[in-house]
Amino acid sequence: MIVEYHRPTQLKDALDLLSRPDPLTIPIGGGSAFRRTAFGPRAVVDLQALGLDTFEQKGNSIELGATLTLQNLLAHLEQSPQPGLAGLVKAIRHEAAHNLRQVGSVAGCLVSAAGRSPFGTALLALDGVLTLEPGAEELHLGDLYPVRDELLRGRLITAVSFGSKARIAYEYVARSPADQPIVCAAVAVWHSGRTRLALGGFGTAPRLAFDGPDSGGVEAAARSAYSQAEDAWASKEYRAQIAGVLAGRAVQSALAH
Amino acid sequence: MLISLLINDRIFEVESAAGESLLSVLRRLGFFSVKHGCETGECGACAVLLDGKTVNSCVMLAAQAVGHILQTIESIGEHPEQGWKTTQGLHPLQQAFVETGAVQCGYCTPAQILAAKELLDRNPNPTEAEVRQALAGVLCRCTGYLKPVQAVLRAAAVLRGEAVEPLEGGLHGDEGIPAPPDWFGGGDEGGAPEKDLLTPATFPGGAVQTRTRLLPRITLTPESEVWSSVGKPEKKVDAVKLVQGKPAFTADIEPRNLLYAKVLHSPVAHARIVKIDASRALQLPGVAAVLTWKDLPRVVYSTAGQSDPIPGPLDSFSLDRKVRFVGDRVAFVAAESEQIASQALELIDVEYESLPAVLDPAEAMLPGAPILHDEPEYVNFAESDPGRNLAAHIHIDIGDVEKGFAEADQIFEDVYEVPKVQQAHIEPHVVVTYWDEDDRLVIRTSTQVPFHARRMLAPVLGLPVKRIRVIKPRIGGGFGGKQEVLIEDVAAHLTIATGRPVIYEYTRAEEFFAGRSRHPMRIWMKTGVKKDGTLTANAMKVLTNTGAYGCHALTVTGNTGHKSIALYVGDGEYRKSPNIQFTADVVYTNHPPAGAFRGYGVPQGYWALDRHMEKIARALGLDPLEFRLKNALRAGELQPFSTAWSEGREPRPETIETCALEECARQGKAVIGWDQKFNNPNWRTVAGKPHLRRGIGSALVMQGTAIPYLDMGGASVKMNDDGSFNLLIGATDLGTGSDTVIGQMVAEVLGVPLEDIIVYSSDTDFTPFDKGAYASSTTYISGGAAVKAAEQVAERIRIRAAKMLNAAGAEGEPIDWREIKLANRQACAPDGRSVSLSEVALHALHQEDQEQIMGVASFVSPVAPPPFAAQFAEVTVDIETGQVIVGKLVMALDSGVIVNPLTASGQVEGGMTQALGYAVCEEMRYDERGFAREIDLTDYHIFQADEMPELHTLFVETFEPTHPFGVKAVAEIPLDGVAPAVGNAVLDACGAVVNNNPITPEKVWRSLNKESD
Repeated sequence: MIVEYHRPTQLKDALDLLSRPDPLTIPIGGGSAFRRTAFGPRAVVDLQALGLDTFEQKGNSIELGATLTLQNLLAHLEQSPQPGLAGLVKAIRHEAAHNLRQVGSVAGCLVSAAGRSPFGTALLALDGVLTLEPGAEELHLGDLYPVRDELLRGRLITAVSFGSKARIAYEYVARSPADQPIVCAAVAVWHSGRTRLALGGFGTAPRLAFDGPDSGGVEAAARSAYSQAEDAWASKEYRAQIAGVLAGRAVQSALAH
Repeated sequence: MLISLLINDRIFEVESAAGESLLSVLRRLGFFSVKHGCETGECGACAVLLDGKTVNSCVMLAAQAVGHILQTIESIGEHPEQGWKTTQGLHPLQQAFVETGAVQCGYCTPAQILAAKELLDRNPNPTEAEVRQALAGVLCRCTGYLKPVQAVLRAAAVLRGEAVEPLEGGLHGDEGIPAPPDWFGGGDEGGAPEKDLLTPATFPGGAVQTRTRLLPRITLTPESEVWSSVGKPEKKVDAVKLVQGKPAFTADIEPRNLLYAKVLHSPVAHARIVKIDASRALQLPGVAAVLTWKDLPRVVYSTAGQSDPIPGPLDSFSLDRKVRFVGDRVAFVAAESEQIASQALELIDVEYESLPAVLDPAEAMLPGAPILHDEPEYVNFAESDPGRNLAAHIHIDIGDVEKGFAEADQIFEDVYEVPKVQQAHIEPHVVVTYWDEDDRLVIRTSTQVPFHARRMLAPVLGLPVKRIRVIKPRIGGGFGGKQEVLIEDVAAHLTIATGRPVIYEYTRAEEFFAGRSRHPMRIWMKTGVKKDGTLTANAMKVLTNTGAYGCHALTVTGNTGHKSIALYVGDGEYRKSPNIQFTADVVYTNHPPAGAFRGYGVPQGYWALDRHMEKIARALGLDPLEFRLKNALRAGELQPFSTAWSEGREPRPETIETCALEECARQGKAVIGWDQKFNNPNWRTVAGKPHLRRGIGSALVMQGTAIPYLDMGGASVKMNDDGSFNLLIGATDLGTGSDTVIGQMVAEVLGVPLEDIIVYSSDTDFTPFDKGAYASSTTYISGGAAVKAAEQVAERIRIRAAKMLNAAGAEGEPIDWREIKLANRQACAPDGRSVSLSEVALHALHQEDQEQIMGVASFVSPVAPPPFAAQFAEVTVDIETGQVIVGKLVMALDSGVIVNPLTASGQVEGGMTQALGYAVCEEMRYDERGFAREIDLTDYHIFQADEMPELHTLFVETFEPTHPFGVKAVAEIPLDGVAPAVGNAVLDACGAVVNNNPITPEKVWRSLNKESD
């Protein structure tokens, strides 16, 4: 139950609120993910007045304000199409339908991402970096997922960045085109040859399956990473096999750009 | 907290709790166009424009909207005729939704229009793919999205100042409506890469069907006359209010002193309640009542909304000492707010004595299995046996199957399974109850069966029928889920307890764990066949899981056989004397109960039957369609099951009068390009995509039209001063358009435009009886009643018109009233003289020999004339992952005469889309404790606008002689053939044999890797 609502206009005020021990206070971007969770009495800090809904291309990096909506991110990426980021566009579309993209924020989506999150998987492949306040600490997304509740207590993500020169491909299998992925694979390839594979479709968070100097071994890494990925939606045998197939395709697709 | 919201250019100061959703505040303020469909933003029915962008108000806090500009549909457009006042009329989007038939139930329509407005405001010339993406955030369970997309494209053209194709006219030429030139085999060159196959910009189906064509292709029956209203794409009579978001639905009222109901649901699958204490809940401020089993009379009943006597066991109580599934009822609460009611639920202390649960229907029948229904009040029906967990048993022998098997050259046997699936109407179950000024209980409810509800609730509530009034407003979809008296008793008991109005509305999660669903079944097929493809015998054995209660247990499973396996009688001598056996056990388990779902058991039957037929054809090297047609029923033959079974009542033989199955197959084949694709290896492969295979599949299906000698509808027609008419019908329009098509038939008889027919339906105090909206019966049964009533009125009009024309001083020969024709609002004599209907009305009501010209009639049929259809699917299969993408669905349908091509094709498109979910993605699964895996519309995925395949609808008309306008049913048959056609197409594409739907990627993959699914 929400017992308090705050809409600070200054970052400091937001952080002060979030650092209170009581009532437990949490930030909301758009609020769409927040509504899905059951919880006890909480205060919410609405971030919409903090001016964090930004999109900036800085050199070889794209920096997203934490409250930038998925739909606005999509619009930016489509207005200035970058072929190497086509996989990210595909993942954003797969993440949610139009209306939810209008309110779902970049940081909110990443913070709440379950294993079946396409956007979370894609950003993990892109080695997304979060900026946390206070302290302007930079944290790789891959370091957030395992301990996100602990890491974020009393803190706020203000920005998310990733390299714009990486080429990313996103592949998935689902029961229908817009259904949640049973397995998804996002592969990011940098000019240096560095290749990262993130897998989604299973578990509590997307999983980094491969980070190497080139793409050699990606498919085997994918199969290995999902070798125990069994739940009510698919068997581990299936997921492991398909993770390898999708990883291979994603590598080919990323390299083709 | 006090917040200020800017809504539709007005500022509203409103008290709102910090956690209150924007949806809740908007509805409290009276913006009832904003609908509740879920609580987590998936359905989009609650969409509003926030700073011009479509957002879902259920996932926004009201406080988040402070400082923003909100817009709801109430600010867009208005009725074009408001007396002396000049109005702006409807917005072009609203107008286009009305004209194109994009409005079915209308529950999601305001949200769809707002989403479209956002798009057109920033992009006046969108592509179809862009329209589909814009609409993708609003789920629609009725339309299949084709008509809403067409509406948006049409409105965009209008807003750009372009001319758009008129809808009316030219429907009844000899050739019917011509098909577009690309329909017959064009556009699919063998081996060419397809632009949309698994390599999409967005989703594979998102940009595939750019067509501005608005009407389906119809091959007209030669018996059809040139009618003025019947057969025309008339606008739905409720469309104008629905596109404006008028408060037309059950929850769109707010009586004073309204209480909010909540139900405590069982957390265990099987238990006795040994102790229940509501005292702490009752002490919570704002709680008005808490009811447990101790408080209510113990009245056993069935929740299945069916005619008297209910053809099934009586095994339910409003509240019981025992719970039988996770989600079963434990207690009812009424409180001043939903929040308080929810808090009160947590304060009810319940002690359960856990009992062993049984979740598998086969295990439930084993000796020693836990018994669900050991209550002494249980009332058997037919062969139900609660001591064996048997809710129903069916055994039907037609001919001698053993003899037929002995005469066969080959026997084919296999086992198939179909899952439990949800109706997923976007409007949840919702009811409002209150005592009226005469102390009669009013039940305003979203139901398909208002008259059954009244009759069935009376004993449960301890009231006589005459002291209950049931009102059915507009319904936001039902699909059988509301052919259940599911929650009305909750609110009614609480109104009786408190004396106050009560609203009870399911959450989306409750829909999944406490609502009804399609019965899951395991089906064994055994078929004997000669080398030439002649069926010699066909046997179907079914094990049905009805869940904890036996609602619709007998009748759903009976129809599984009655309307599927009955289609194939064999050929030659076997055609005259078919050998068919159908046996079924319908078994209780500790799962949520199944119930009625559009198709009513028949889709389950066709999944098994048609998949089996396909395999036999392939094994024998026969063309699958020719093999089916060789053995299928034909006009003039007996419906074989009609001699053996009739929904638990006495069976009587029925002859098939009309059947255009062969022509449906021919036309459907042409549209999908069967001859170019089937067995064409070049077409099957995709250039540059070695992992893809294309396939094509078909299915032939049959449904029924009403229940013979049982289903009855009534109607009355009354003439007004201006020559307009009030049509009162008990028929229940649940978004199907039945008010409209029945109105069209009445308009045709009376010679007036549809706009002169004022339709009011489904109010037990004011309209004649009707059994309700199920069994594909409304157009046929209720329409038949309305036509008979209209004919009575027409006769009175003719008699009076003749009298007026023959009055003293009139010139010419005396006119026989029988020669007078009604057309164009005139009563016309053969010699050209006429009087207007308004003159007749004034004459009758005010001037001479005054009388109220009116008619009352009812209609019941001795037959259930089956519609027939050929359904086709085209798929692409990824043979490495098992992913299946359905690219095209075609349905060629003999539904008799089509009264309204827009509403009828809308039914087919929406039905195909629901069936597509049944084919590939929809299923409800449970863990070992009986907890549902799917409790929202994320995990239970229904198709959205931007992932749809092409949909093609063709009508091949026949004239059914048992109905005055020759109609048969449309509504349910689209559910029957999609899943088997898709399964057959997957088989065709890659050889994958998937016997259990939905056809998920892993099942295909396992089959391709030679593992069982």
